[in-house]
Amino acid sequence: MPKNAVVMLKDTRDAVEPLPVVYVGQEVRESQLLAKSAGRGSSNVHSPIPGIVRRIESTMTPGGFESRAILVSLEGAFSVLGKRPERYLWKSLNKADISHIVQEKGIVRISTGEPLAEIIAERASKPGFVLVVSALEMDPYRRTEEELLAIRPEDVVDGCAIAARMTQPSRIILAVDEHISAATIERLQNVIAASELDISVQPFIRKFPQDMARQIAEALDIADAGSLFVLEPSTLIALHEAVVANKPHIEQYVYVGGGAIKHPAILKARIGAPIGDLIEECGGFSGNPETIVIGGPFRGRAAANLDVSVTRTTRAVLALTAEETKLAPERGCVRCGDCIAVCPEGLDPHFIFKLLRAGRKSDAVAAGLERCSLCGACAYACRSRIPLVLKFDAACRNEEFR
Amino acid sequence: MKSKVATLHSYPPYIHDWRTSARAAWICSLTLMPIVAWSSIIYGHFAMAVWVVALATALISEAIASGLLRRWTLGDGSAVLTGLLVAAAMPPGVPLYIPAISVAFSILIVKTAFGGLGANWMNPALGGIAFAYANWPVAMREYLLPRLVSGVDGVSASTPLIFAKGLTGGLDLRVMDALRGSSYPLSNIDSTITGFMNDYVFSRLGARLPDGYIDLAIGLKPGTLGESALLALLAGSVVLLGLRLIKPLIPVAMLAVFTILVRIFGTGLPGESFLGGDVLFALSSGGVVFVAFYMASDPVSSPVGRLNSLVYGAAIGALCFIFRRWGAYSEGVAYAVLVMNVLTPFIEKSTLRMARRRARAV
Repeated sequence: MPKNAVVMLKDTRDAVEPLPVVYVGQEVRESQLLAKSAGRGSSNVHSPIPGIVRRIESTMTPGGFESRAILVSLEGAFSVLGKRPERYLWKSLNKADISHIVQEKGIVRISTGEPLAEIIAERASKPGFVLVVSALEMDPYRRTEEELLAIRPEDVVDGCAIAARMTQPSRIILAVDEHISAATIERLQNVIAASELDISVQPFIRKFPQDMARQIAEALDIADAGSLFVLEPSTLIALHEAVVANKPHIEQYVYVGGGAIKHPAILKARIGAPIGDLIEECGGFSGNPETIVIGGPFRGRAAANLDVSVTRTTRAVLALTAEETKLAPERGCVRCGDCIAVCPEGLDPHFIFKLLRAGRKSDAVAAGLERCSLCGACAYACRSRIPLVLKFDAACRNEEFR
Repeated sequence: MKSKVATLHSYPPYIHDWRTSARAAWICSLTLMPIVAWSSIIYGHFAMAVWVVALATALISEAIASGLLRRWTLGDGSAVLTGLLVAAAMPPGVPLYIPAISVAFSILIVKTAFGGLGANWMNPALGGIAFAYANWPVAMREYLLPRLVSGVDGVSASTPLIFAKGLTGGLDLRVMDALRGSSYPLSNIDSTITGFMNDYVFSRLGARLPDGYIDLAIGLKPGTLGESALLALLAGSVVLLGLRLIKPLIPVAMLAVFTILVRIFGTGLPGESFLGGDVLFALSSGGVVFVAFYMASDPVSSPVGRLNSLVYGAAIGALCFIFRRWGAYSEGVAYAVLVMNVLTPFIEKSTLRMARRRARAV
């Protein structure tokens, strides 16, 4: 258990910041409400540990934006941990009740950080979409979602049943990687059959970034990626626990791995715990980590130090060695065309980069700059190590372009 | 636990592909080493001196260029590769100031003057080769017979291609037989292998391989250094394609178009008829294969994109055919690529305009 938990109030850059409902010096119980949703994009925040509120101050989130954070230092006994979870029969609840619980418990979509209550309400108002339970990953490291399918298939399917009840999708697809074990699939099929839900299990070819909505839509032959409602098994488990066990979003499955971690593992971590604790729990470093990344190697962000705390969108902590990062000096573009070959959006990154460097942003937009999802595939492949994604991101956000 | 991790990386992605432009150039250079070795065996010091001088000039020129551009660029491997490629186009025994000046021209003028690697619109090695042909047309066309054929060093001879072009009469003979008829030198290795293959393989199929093709394939003929090891060249190209270091569509399109045109129209040699061109001779003499894998597919001076690469490769193949069919000299292949280097921006612009028009029509 962390001695201190630093709980970020915002999970996305554009969210309205939730309002703290505690004061410095106040004693809080585990799961007690710390901050209340205050508008679009914001969700309730609960205390992951029992203790005393030490500070409420502005800080930089691991996602790279400013947010206030509440620091709680451990004191007193755990009330939720170790207790047998309560079990409510959610099928007797009506939609309004469930929606209230999801909002109350501050459940967010783990892949994006948006409040789940908000996106569910949005989907429910526009019928005719496909619910995709996506156990696909964005990189070759993390396999958390697949692991959750293997160890908690009942909870995932039950969470899916809740989501389906709330939004009434026209179809439900369970998207899995092509290399998933046959035993997991068999178990899942049994659980699905018992649940009376019509879920079709669909294996996907492993080509990163595999998890993006547009890639999934293309593979399923669906023209409009907007008609997909993508939720991950981890989000469904959080949803399930909130509705069935009344548990707020204070825990998070985090994959700790990379070449510099002694024993890579999937941990169930408290929100607000420093990533250094997680790494220690995995036996610490083996060898020399060159970079510590939060999120994923393609779209994550480097951690400034090991005190950075786990948030509700922290899905992985990777300690990468030099052999994995394969850093090289940046050179001029040699026009090899590898970036075009790998771009999942079918863009021409080399050309867009050239236009941006020439200061022709409107031409770059015409060439598809705004369709760029910043997935990192082009910069991964770039032989001259040009920070393409960094420049595209800066240009999209209208920052000064060098 | 306090962090002692120095974050070198400040932006995603945090992992990368193993290919870098520098590594590609070094691997490309390595694949040329068997050719360096083989040509040194069959020509002795006449070949070795050219390779050494070209490499040394490349290193010195790049060091000077690094000074001029104020950034250290020797590590990117492109200078060494350029030096090797220019040397590969030289005949053995060429006066040594020719590779030296040509390589210096390649690196200092063609590459550096336009801003260094990535900014050069013309393949530096080809620029240097064209420079050499334009400046020393006679010295660049004086070839030696390998000592494995003649038994002695430094016997000059003309290449099979130039010799065959000069043949008149005997038009019903195939080109190789016509060469034999004019007592063009043949190595013992060739007559042994060809004899063996004819006796045990081709005779059963009712076919006959004329003497001389084995000599062409293993470089036992007068020619440039790069032509001296066709088999090593093909092995190198397999490495480059297998590691996906060059754009595969360019050499494939180029060789396909060249082969088809040669088959249909012939190259103006004895024994060829309409739809009966000697493809084997066309591919194994002259530098077509070398240029296809090591020059035309140079990423910097070739267009980006699948359709562009196809157009570019096919156009080079067609130009090679024209220069081979009606041109006077074998270096036509080099000029074919140079012409298309110049047209690269035009190809890219045309396909872009086409794509825009299609997008508007939808």
